[in-house]
Amino acid sequence: MSERDPTTEYTLWRSPEELNGSAAGNLREFADGAWRPPGWANRREFLALVGASAALAGLTGCSDRPDEEKIVPYVRQPEQVVPGNPLMFATAMPLGGYGRGVLVESHEGRPTKVEGNPDHPSSPGGGSDVFMQASILQLYDPDRSKSVTRAGQPSHWGAFASELRRRIDAKRAAGGAGIAILTGIVTSPSLGARINEVRRLFPKATWHQYEPSARVNTAAGAVAAFGRAVNTVYQFERAKVIVSLDADFLSDDPLSVRYARHFANARRVRRGRTDASRLYVAESTLSLAGSMADRRIPVRPAVVERVAWKLASLVGVANAPGEEPTGDAEVEGFVAAAAADLRKNPGACVVVAGEAQPPAVHALAHAINQQLGSVGKTVVYTEPVEVRPDDVTASLKELVASMEAGRVDVLLILGGNPAHASPGDVAFKAALERMTTARDTSGELAHFTAHLGLYDDETSYLCQWHVPEAHYLETWGDVRAPDGTASVIQPLISPLFGGRSAGEVLAVLTAQGDISPYEAVRDHWRRQATGGDFEQWWATALRRGTIEGTAAKPVQVAPAKLPAKTALIVALGTVDVVIRLDWAVWDGSFANLTWMQELPRPFTKLVWDNAALMSPRTAGRLNVNDGDVVKLTAGEVTVEAPAMILPGLPDETITVHLGYGRTRAGSVATAGAGEWGRRGFDAYPLRRGSSPWHTAGANVTKTGATWRLVTTRNHHAMEALRGLEHGRVTEERLKPDVVASPDDDVETKNRQLVRVVSLSRFAKDPNAVKELGGEAGRRVKLSLYPDSWDYSQGPQWGMSIDLQTCIGCNACVIACQAENNIATVGKQEVSRQREMHWIRIDSYFAGGVDRPSVYHQPVPCMHCENAPCEYVCPTGATTHSTQGLNEMTYNRCIGTRYCSNNCPYKVRRFNFFAFGYESSKGSTQLQKNPEVTVRTRGVMEKCSYCVQRINRTRIEVEKTVVELTEQARLAANDDERKRLNGQADARRFAVYEGLRTACEQACPTAAIVFGDIREPRSQVSMLKAQPHDYTLLDELTTRPRTSYLARFTNATGDGGEGAA
Amino acid sequence: MPETVGVHIPPVMESGHTYASVTDHIDGIVLRRRWTWVWLAAFGFTFALVMLLTTAIGWLIVRGIGVWGVDIPVAWGFAIINFVWWIGIGHAGTFISAMLLLMRQDWRTSINRFAEAMTLFAVACAGLFPLLHLGRIKFFYWLVPYPNTMWLWPQFRSALVWDVFAVSTYGLVSLIFWYVGLIPDLATLRDRATGRRRRVIYGILAMGWRGASRHWTRYQTAYLLLAGLAAPLVISVHSIVGMDFASAQLPGWHTTIFPPYFVAGAIFSGFAMVLSLAIPMRAAFGLQGFITIRHLDNCAKLMLVNGLIVAYGYLAEAYMGWYSGNAYESYVNLNRMHGPYAPAYWVMMTCNVLVPQLLWFKWVRRNVPTLFLLAFLVNVGMWTERYVIIITSLHRDFLPSSWGMYYPTFWDLATLVGTIGLFLCFFLLFCRFLPVISIFEMRELVHSTAGGTRPPPTMEPKHAH
Repeated sequence: MSERDPTTEYTLWRSPEELNGSAAGNLREFADGAWRPPGWANRREFLALVGASAALAGLTGCSDRPDEEKIVPYVRQPEQVVPGNPLMFATAMPLGGYGRGVLVESHEGRPTKVEGNPDHPSSPGGGSDVFMQASILQLYDPDRSKSVTRAGQPSHWGAFASELRRRIDAKRAAGGAGIAILTGIVTSPSLGARINEVRRLFPKATWHQYEPSARVNTAAGAVAAFGRAVNTVYQFERAKVIVSLDADFLSDDPLSVRYARHFANARRVRRGRTDASRLYVAESTLSLAGSMADRRIPVRPAVVERVAWKLASLVGVANAPGEEPTGDAEVEGFVAAAAADLRKNPGACVVVAGEAQPPAVHALAHAINQQLGSVGKTVVYTEPVEVRPDDVTASLKELVASMEAGRVDVLLILGGNPAHASPGDVAFKAALERMTTARDTSGELAHFTAHLGLYDDETSYLCQWHVPEAHYLETWGDVRAPDGTASVIQPLISPLFGGRSAGEVLAVLTAQGDISPYEAVRDHWRRQATGGDFEQWWATALRRGTIEGTAAKPVQVAPAKLPAKTALIVALGTVDVVIRLDWAVWDGSFANLTWMQELPRPFTKLVWDNAALMSPRTAGRLNVNDGDVVKLTAGEVTVEAPAMILPGLPDETITVHLGYGRTRAGSVATAGAGEWGRRGFDAYPLRRGSSPWHTAGANVTKTGATWRLVTTRNHHAMEALRGLEHGRVTEERLKPDVVASPDDDVETKNRQLVRVVSLSRFAKDPNAVKELGGEAGRRVKLSLYPDSWDYSQGPQWGMSIDLQTCIGCNACVIACQAENNIATVGKQEVSRQREMHWIRIDSYFAGGVDRPSVYHQPVPCMHCENAPCEYVCPTGATTHSTQGLNEMTYNRCIGTRYCSNNCPYKVRRFNFFAFGYESSKGSTQLQKNPEVTVRTRGVMEKCSYCVQRINRTRIEVEKTVVELTEQARLAANDDERKRLNGQADARRFAVYEGLRTACEQACPTAAIVFGDIREPRSQVSMLKAQPHDYTLLDELTTRPRTSYLARFTNATGDGGEGAA
Repeated sequence: MPETVGVHIPPVMESGHTYASVTDHIDGIVLRRRWTWVWLAAFGFTFALVMLLTTAIGWLIVRGIGVWGVDIPVAWGFAIINFVWWIGIGHAGTFISAMLLLMRQDWRTSINRFAEAMTLFAVACAGLFPLLHLGRIKFFYWLVPYPNTMWLWPQFRSALVWDVFAVSTYGLVSLIFWYVGLIPDLATLRDRATGRRRRVIYGILAMGWRGASRHWTRYQTAYLLLAGLAAPLVISVHSIVGMDFASAQLPGWHTTIFPPYFVAGAIFSGFAMVLSLAIPMRAAFGLQGFITIRHLDNCAKLMLVNGLIVAYGYLAEAYMGWYSGNAYESYVNLNRMHGPYAPAYWVMMTCNVLVPQLLWFKWVRRNVPTLFLLAFLVNVGMWTERYVIIITSLHRDFLPSSWGMYYPTFWDLATLVGTIGLFLCFFLLFCRFLPVISIFEMRELVHSTAGGTRPPPTMEPKHAH
């Protein structure tokens, strides 16, 4: 034994022997044979190896998984796998416990893209949201935990299972007392059955649910109104009038993708169809629904209840007390108009209470809906879809109480990150830490705590054990959509990092440790199946992505009970903190995804941070500007947050978003050093268990510190608005020179980027939109030059974007990023305006400075027929295709960047660094779409109209249509020839109509339509023929292929934009 | 004549010089002058800047164009500003040697040599930038039409391709013109050099010049022809550089006045640089006898004229912005005057429009330190002009959603300062190794200044000596 002490002396050693010095002399640096030259094999050895390789190659088909688990692709069968052609599989994505139907694109067994499943009730038309789109990146996140750990040290599943079994067995005699299971909201039938099985075996074990996104107020509101748990599903398609009481049904709802689609369907304006639904929004922040409102009032959170009472009394809800005037003429006017509209449309209207509002408002909304006869029409009540509808806050509090009382001995946290995401007044974190570190008299750890999670996060840090969780694309399972429809979750790939599902952990408890998740799910549904061929039933369920007949049954409800009336208390001199899930990182679970961090949030366009959002007047009162750090104090909690000014927020409210301030997330989400390392602030401490979305009576003060906030918003955007200067109110009305409306005095120097017309004017004068830009009466061609290209042959691609239905949800941005391998660049590079998104959503504000109208405008490449980028490129790297595409040839690009300078729409993106390679580290490379090049450093890129999809479709058309045309040519007679030609034509039309770009496919509202503009029957042609179709910067004669449909205002009296 | 006009016009050369004294004085700088610490210090300093430039270029190549401040929307930054600035400076040389030669302006003789050298060095500096600013520098040759199996040619509609032709032609013609002009003087150096190595080197460079009558005849013809060739290039190069911008449709670039206004601006800045170099040089090497107040006065007058054309250009831009009624054009002008880059605009207006008005006064034109300061300010102003044209037009164009800012980085500044170092470094070497003033052409002037009166314009063809 040498004198070396490995704990005090820093020595490198390769084996214990070397460390001890005993065998050091025998250790050789290189293995035997390493000295031989690389070409060591002689002819015989080489041939032997070749033979063996060939023979063994067949074994690669063997899997180390115990048995073959067949996953069934959507529509096409697996035997049709053609190398190079992706397959689509239907599955479901659980988010906050509720399922969203998805289709997953798989390239030779490698999932690369997630789309909405059009056959699933949560995503009609196949729309999706940012979370569905980004979940594919989460699958490949290299920071996901990769190993079972015990006290931070690598361990393995067997050790975990046997330790758990030992602990459980000790509890068996006591009926499982001391065992606690904490899950998220469980809607999974098979997991529910498994939990019930555990509880049957261990009757005294407790099961708790906690979910930061849980809709506790909604549930409590239903209980308050009807005396029982009831699930509410809205049918916005049938509503002519919608009143939202702080409800953002377009983005902040498990069914928001469907709601957005239905909302848009009732809102589209076409020639001769001007009966769009009208949306009233009273809200305490600025939401997507608010941005779409025809009439909107921003109010402090408590005022919404006043609005609800007033509305109830005005629509004649029985027993609703006559509401005293609020003293606020604007609120009065809003309520009067909304009530009048509601009364005019009984049964075709709906009042939606937001989750952020207390149960009383929900109860009132139920009463109003009943009074107006909307139940069964626009509002449908069903049985709850959760396995056990819990008040999750109460459930978590109960668990914490048990933990603090020492009643919990074995704690299994299955999914979620409650140590980070619990409300500020629920001391879960401290209780967990005490429990994990407690030692018994013998000095052993007294309790057993384990966390199953995707990441080694704040919660796993405080647990003894951590088990990597399988991503939903890696394991079998099932889940219910918020309308009750169940889906089987089928994996697209084996667990990349050996993750386990919650069911697998519970199987240890039920002593079914050997059952695979696949068998578990199948067994569950085999027991549910009602006769018939189970295999066929199973295959159908997998293929469709939904299980038929599982939607929750509608229920009849009693007349809603009115809540007790409370006095309106707005503590003067304090501010309301309005808490919301983040638009991108959500409750924090998407925080480690670069796509999500770099997603410009709606309105603020903020990236890589969250902020304390406040109105210009509040900011003026506090004397703060964007990036000034403010201190938010609520009770004993103090949080420091960077301020950011957002017009349209109610004064004296601060909106904060959850999910930031992570201390132990992956390399992306965890704050690093320096001003660029900052990753927002943790807003959870501001949350109250009793009121998760609103903390009243807070104080806000300026600290004097600053925080570098990075936005992609026209960096210094506000200077584009007259009325605001550096965020400060200078005039009462915001007058951007980009929004043009004939209802306003149109300024001569208006850029007319967003054209807004009142519906009534449009009904009378359909040319109103075109008249704005002078295109209506134009007979001469603007350009003196002849057309450069012949656009008379083949399909000619074009796009139409409907500003009336674009809700600004960002789904297209992430979808494009996933489809086109778009790099992320990091906070610092975004601050230097080098973000790479091919499609961006521009937001413009106009109107009263306190309640401006907000307009979203998605801007992809315009694919100008007369493209300014093309003629300036010295190498001809950007050229026009015969089908009207403006194409980038990356290989030919030398990066002069002149094209970007000359692009009036600034849609071109440049690889200033090797963004493509730098942002695809490790396993994220697997996400890349193999049909799209990853661009190298120094090359320009931009929207290609998803040319890879176009080409795939073109090949598809050529395969079938060419054959039919050939048959027609050889046909025996004219009738036959005509028939075959007609068939070919119909086929061509159908295939080209089915072609969708990534943004179009992801758009939940079908605001983006792409197709052949030469084909008069195509949807895009019909949209472009609409009288309210216009192009951006028409006067430049760029002749964009992407055009816009105008936005409409539809307030009562058609006073023009907004409420004012 | 001076008496009749009643104005004293300084001579183009100090009186009293003989053929021998002219030769002696000028070639003495090269052949007999000692190494001075001033020269060595200046050379050391400029060489350090050259090292900075190579570091900046190295880092640029290693890391990529992102080390500069360019972004979207401002995809062109310092590189193009510097390019246009240097190319502009390079205009004075050819203007002096070719245009003034053709116009028989004998005062050009004292300054044409170093002005041409300055042109070459400026073009060398300018030529760096279009290459460096490429995203993929290794493929710069794709800008050149070379035969290849794929039949891929540059895109001839792009002004950047015209630029390649214009700048490379200009560089080549300037080099030949300068070199041809040097040959008789190289022969003089060869003949008068003492060391063998010098004799050999200058001998090779002199290409066997013996000063025979036939040599002189051929020489005069060639020189005139080259001047005829170079003169249109003075106009064409910067016109095409102007078209780099004018052919875009960006408000602030899309202006028909650009080509002439760029040419005037180029000559403006070129003369400013001639003065900036001539004033210290004549002091350092005692050349006041050859580069007289008359030269400085004439350069100043040319600066004034070109400065007025430039001012007219600014006025026309602003007027057209207003007169067009075009929202974007008028916004660009307002943004230049009041936007975040307004200081640059006002610096430009001060240096390029206001300050040159002082040149109306003779005492300013003939006060050497004032003139030096003024020329320096014009150089600053002309750099700022390019900054204003490029940055303020790009940073706020059509869609306010894509507006942005441009902030240069350390590497941007290093590259600018580095090329200034390179330029001065070349110039210092030139002063040391080649005659800064054309010896033989100065000798032509000796007979006319011998009497100390103003020489009549030399209208007769030049004679062989």
